[in-house]
Parts: sequence; C-alpha cells; structure tokens
Amino acid sequence: MDAKALGARFIPQFDLEKETKRWNQVVRIILEPKPDIIPTPRQSIWKKNKSTLWYHPAKNKKYPIPVLMVYSLLNKPYILDAGPGSSVVGGLTERGYDVYLFDWGSPGLEDSDTTLDVYIIEYLEAAIKRAIRHSGQKGISLLGYCLGGTISAILTSITDVPIKNLILAAVPIDFSIGIVPDKWLEGLQNGEMDFNRFADAYGTIPSEFMYLMFRMLSPVYNSPMVNLVTRAYDDEYVEKWRRMDKWTKDTASFAGAAFKQMFHDLYKENKLLKGELVIGGRQAVLSQIQCPLFVFSCSRDTLVLEQQSLPIMDMAGSLDKTYQVFEGGHVSLALTGKFAEFADQWLSTRSLSEK
Amino acid sequence: MTKEKAFDPFEGYKRMAEIWEKQMNGFLYMLTDNRETVRLMKAGLNAHSNYMEILRKNQELMAGFLNIPTKKDVANVAKLSIQAEEKMDLLEEQVWNLQDSLGQLNQENVELLKEAVMNIQQMNTELKKASIHMEETRKMNAELQELRKGLVDIKIIQVNLQELRKEIDSLKSIKTDLKHLKASKELAQIQNEIRELKEEAVQLSDIKAELAEVKKSIQAEQDNEIKMDKELVLSSAGPSKGE
Repeated sequence: MDAKALGARFIPQFDLEKETKRWNQVVRIILEPKPDIIPTPRQSIWKKNKSTLWYHPAKNKKYPIPVLMVYSLLNKPYILDAGPGSSVVGGLTERGYDVYLFDWGSPGLEDSDTTLDVYIIEYLEAAIKRAIRHSGQKGISLLGYCLGGTISAILTSITDVPIKNLILAAVPIDFSIGIVPDKWLEGLQNGEMDFNRFADAYGTIPSEFMYLMFRMLSPVYNSPMVNLVTRAYDDEYVEKWRRMDKWTKDTASFAGAAFKQMFHDLYKENKLLKGELVIGGRQAVLSQIQCPLFVFSCSRDTLVLEQQSLPIMDMAGSLDKTYQVFEGGHVSLALTGKFAEFADQWLSTRSLSEK
Repeated sequence: MTKEKAFDPFEGYKRMAEIWEKQMNGFLYMLTDNRETVRLMKAGLNAHSNYMEILRKNQELMAGFLNIPTKKDVANVAKLSIQAEEKMDLLEEQVWNLQDSLGQLNQENVELLKEAVMNIQQMNTELKKASIHMEETRKMNAELQELRKGLVDIKIIQVNLQELRKEIDSLKSIKTDLKHLKASKELAQIQNEIRELKEEAVQLSDIKAELAEVKKSIQAEQDNEIKMDKELVLSSAGPSKGE
C-alpha cells in the first residue's frame, strides 16, 4: 500500500455539497425563528384559566380506556407531542388509544397564589373527571412525566376518581437526593437556603428564571450546538433538533405559592416520601395507590435520578407493579417516541375492559 | 468502502466537546459543592429579593402617584375573570350533576313506568280473569240461590217428612195399639176357643163317661154273654165226653 492510499484512508475526503448544506443549515437555524410545532390532530375540550385539556382521538380506536398525560409544571408539555416521528401522543393515537393531554399553561402574576393543592385538585382532578366524562368511559389511565408524575402519584393516592392504570416516567419521589451538589441539598433541607422571599418578591417566577435554574444544573451546555454542527447536513435530525431547541428554551413560569410549597414540602421536608404530605385536606400516602402501576426510569437521566423514582415501587399499594429502565436521557425518552412503544406494551393488556 | 471507514473530524469534535463539557460540569459541581457557595447563593438571592421588593414597592408608589394601573392591578382584574370562570365551571359541573341525576331519575322513571305498564297489563289480565270469575260467581250465586230455594223446599219437605214421620209414628203406635188390640182379640178368641174346648172336653168327658158306662154296660153284657156261652159250652161238653 502506497502512502497516497494510506492517506486517503485517514484524511477525510472533502464533500463540498455536504459541507455547504451543513453550514447553510447552521446559519439558517441561528437566523430563522423557532419552528412551529405541529401537534397530532386535537381539539380542546376544557380550558381553565391558562390550562387546557386537549383531546387527541385515536386513529383506529382499539382500547376503550383512554390515556391522560400530564407533564411537568416546569416545562411545556408539547415535548410529548413534538411533531411526527417524535411524538408520544401520536405514537399512542396510532396504536389505538384516545389520548388526553393536560397542559398546565404558564401562570401569570394573577396566579401567584396558586398552590400545589389547587393545581392537583382544582386543575388535574377536575381535568381527569372531564376527560372521563368526555370519553364516556368509567375510568382512565393516567400517565405522568417528570414532576407531572409526582403530581399524578399524589393525586392517585388521594382521589376517588377511577384511575385504572398509573404510568410514571422519570418521576422524582425521593427529593432527599438529586442532581444538584449535596451541600445545596443540605442547605435546602436545613432551611439555610429558601426561596420564600424570592417567590413573594416576584409573585410568579418568570420563565427566564426557570430556564436559568435548569442551566445552573449543567452550566456548560454546548452539546446541543455541537450535535447540530456535527449532523447539520441531515434534514430529519435538524428538524428534530430545532423542535428540541425550541422546547428547551421555552420553559414555563411558575406560580409563587406552588414554588414555595414545592421547595418546602418536597425538597426541604421530603413529605411525600414520609407520607406526611397533605393536599386539599387529604393525606397523600403512596400506599393508597391501588391501581396497576408502571414506573419508567432513564439510565442516563441528568435531571431525575433513577434512585429518586425507585422508592415508589416499595411504597405503592398496587399488586400489579412494573419497573423498567430505558437506555437514554430524560428528554430523549419522549423525543424518540420510544415511550409510546413501552407504554403501549404495558397498557395494551390493561386498557381493554372496564374492570 | 473507504468512505464508510473515513475519519470524520466532526465526530471527533463532538466526542471531545462531550468530554470537555462533562469535565467542566463536573469541575463546576465540585467547585460549588460547599457551604460557602450556599451562603453566597443565599446572600445573592436575598439581595435580589430585597431589590425586587423595593422595586415593586416603588413601582406601585409611582404608579399610584401617576394614577396609572400596574401589572398587579391588571392581575387583580384578571383574578376576577378567573373567579368568574371558576364559578362558571362550578355551575357547569352542577348542571352536569343535575343532568346526571335527571338522567338517572328519567331512567328510573322509565323503568318504573315499564313496571307500571307491566303491572297494568297484569292487572288487566287479572281483571279479565276476575270478571270471568265474577261471572262464574254470579252463576254460582244464582245456583246457590236456587239451591237455597231448594234447601227451603227440602226443609219444607223435611218438615213435612217430619210430620209424616210423626204421622207414621202415630200410625205405628196406632198399629201397635191395633196389634195389641188384635192380640187381645185373639186371646179372647183363644180363651173362647179354650172355653169351647173346655166345654168340648167336658162334653168329651161326659161322652167318655157315658162311653164308659156304655162300655161297662157292654162289658157287663159281654160278661153275661160269656157266662151264658160258658154255660152253653159246659152243657154241650158233658154228653160229647162220653161218645
């Protein structure tokens, strides 16, 4: 083998077309506005304040029991329906489920006194009742993602609404551990650092501050741009990247009262794990969860650790409990659409009859 | 083939960037994982909160002077519309509850009506049966009346029969009396006959006595004849003995 041939093996061939496309895409993405997210066909069936209950009808309905999806209060829920090929909602409607998606909406200053109690009872519980009424069924499967999972678990433990199945994905239950430095957690737990005054000063925590909070969890955050540059020639990847990029920067604002309650009851006192959390005058004890339970964690989750989800497996009173780990990150679980596949595998046998 | 194996500088850049990012984040994590950072954050947060409080207070004050609404005022108005919406929701839920209960009531009423219709049908059938029974009862009643009449007749007949029986009894007694009477007549007759018989017996004994006398007289005559015969025999036997 001569030197030229050897060099050709290691020195990349310059593909002008590919490189032009790559850099054109990068420039376009930087200059152009964020893309519009095209949701799965849907209709709004209930609105309360800023929240909306969306109904996504199944393409070919196979399962009578519908699914209601709840996302975190911290981010916007369209990550679960971020366009064709990367939509959990679309994946489930294609598999024959009627899907309801509850969008909390971004609170304004007028919602500063909205507590977790209000969110859980007056918003989510009411939404579930309305979804059940709309579906004409006698029960519903509740799917909670991230903090939406925590809220779903709390609600399931206190409500008498017929929740037939409960799916919790990347759900934080134990708040004594986390991805932030231990000393920060200690500071939160011993009251050295609290957000009460801050929350009161703002009323409703602006979305920019929430984004800053996420950035503080991983201050150096250049991997998305590196990934884009690396694969900017791939149109499909670029589209997904743009949707993901839009969602990442599009955080929701947070009602001050709920913010304070979350940090006090969950991060400081860890009341949910201790069974001391009281919501709407009802004590949220996880052992009161009796419906079939499916808990899903992500092995490379940088926001919610697997250890934070695990306690619910021991605490829940359900006889039918399943735990599964997905090889991926917190967001990729939703964005790859894989979640719909896993949820369907578990739900399909549990969504047939109204037991 | 060579293209597939070709070295892609972007892949290398990506891996390097990933490693660098991870290491930088790890470094920052370790750098901030101490109480001093927590204290610093607390101080920063408090200072910022303090600043925001003063700012908001001044905003409100200035807006008050200028007589213009602040975001807080707008939020207060928005709260009113949220409250109205909540009330609407509550009303809607109450309407649903009413709808549901009415629906349930309707269903119950329909079931009740069905039951009532069935009952009426059953009652109708039973009424028909009852009218037939009534007709039969009437007939029976008429028959009973007839029977009663018959019974009265029977009673009359019974009375008549009793009277008849009494008559028969009296007749029987008469008969008995008659029998007695008859018996006494026969006795008298027998006695008469006995008397007659006695008389006849007396007559017979008289005849017997006469016969006895006759017999005696005959005997006596016979004895006389015998004696005469004997004397004749004796007289005739003497000569014949010597022959």
